[in-house]
Amino acid sequence: MSLYQWLLFFHVTGAFFLIGGIVVAGILNLAAIVKDRRPSEVAALYGLIRFAVPLIGAGLLLTLVIGLWLVHNVGYGYGQTWIVAAIVLWVVGSALGNIDGKYQRQTGELAQRLATEGDAPSPELRARLLNPLALVISYASGLTAFAVLGLMIWKPGA
Amino acid sequence: MVLALIRPDSWNLPLFLHVLGATLTFGATATVALLGFAGQRGDPDRSVWLRGLAFWVGLVVLVPAFILMRGTALWILDKEFPGGHNEPDWVGVGFIVTEPGALLVIVMVILAWFTRSPKSRSAVAVPWLASILLVALAVAWFAMSAKPGG
Repeated sequence: MSLYQWLLFFHVTGAFFLIGGIVVAGILNLAAIVKDRRPSEVAALYGLIRFAVPLIGAGLLLTLVIGLWLVHNVGYGYGQTWIVAAIVLWVVGSALGNIDGKYQRQTGELAQRLATEGDAPSPELRARLLNPLALVISYASGLTAFAVLGLMIWKPGA
Repeated sequence: MVLALIRPDSWNLPLFLHVLGATLTFGATATVALLGFAGQRGDPDRSVWLRGLAFWVGLVVLVPAFILMRGTALWILDKEFPGGHNEPDWVGVGFIVTEPGALLVIVMVILAWFTRSPKSRSAVAVPWLASILLVALAVAWFAMSAKPGG
């Protein structure tokens, strides 16, 4: 196998890790908000979301590093529209994901605390789970990954 | 090499949907595995609840994602190799993974349904079946991205 074939495999692997991890986090987050759950249930789900974090992290690293290496290997120009747009979306998605990650960590900590204090459904926890701005940031960061996937397929400006 | 990367515009939508379906399938399968393994330990009521969630993720997310992946695979295959002629080996790998894989998904969802009962003995099988599917998906994406052998 050539270097190109290996690079493409690792780049696609990064995409699977990234989008797969986003799907895991998205499903578990949705499970936490779809019903008014006890704090211990929210804490359990958020505890599982943390398994998606290294997957997303590895995916971000592989897609960017191997992606830039592929640009060089194939001979694309770094200034091509789809490459610039993909990098911009990668940065935006990462930044939004970072903000979301911190917020969700704090939500998980609140759930764990409330779970040890009687485990009764909490309006404060529910409000954090349904915070519209937090939800927009969370799902926007995920959608950037799907947008980059589209750019990789259609390659506008190539 | 650059010429080999150029594809007709009409292939882009089915290819995008196929890759989207595949990544959604991977994520949903990983979620089923995670919930299934988490449902093996701890408080019995909590375990049953987590295993129930695994069932719903399997039914509502994994099955549709798998259908999207497989259906659009046939769509792009028809465009890239009309009439099924001259299909390279990496296409065959996709069939080898997804045809038994479909059976695996069905068995997994059915078993996950039964594991919603506290007395279920098949609970341990669901996350392991999901893990096997994850490995199989990785083999398929290796074949389809690297295309070893051309």
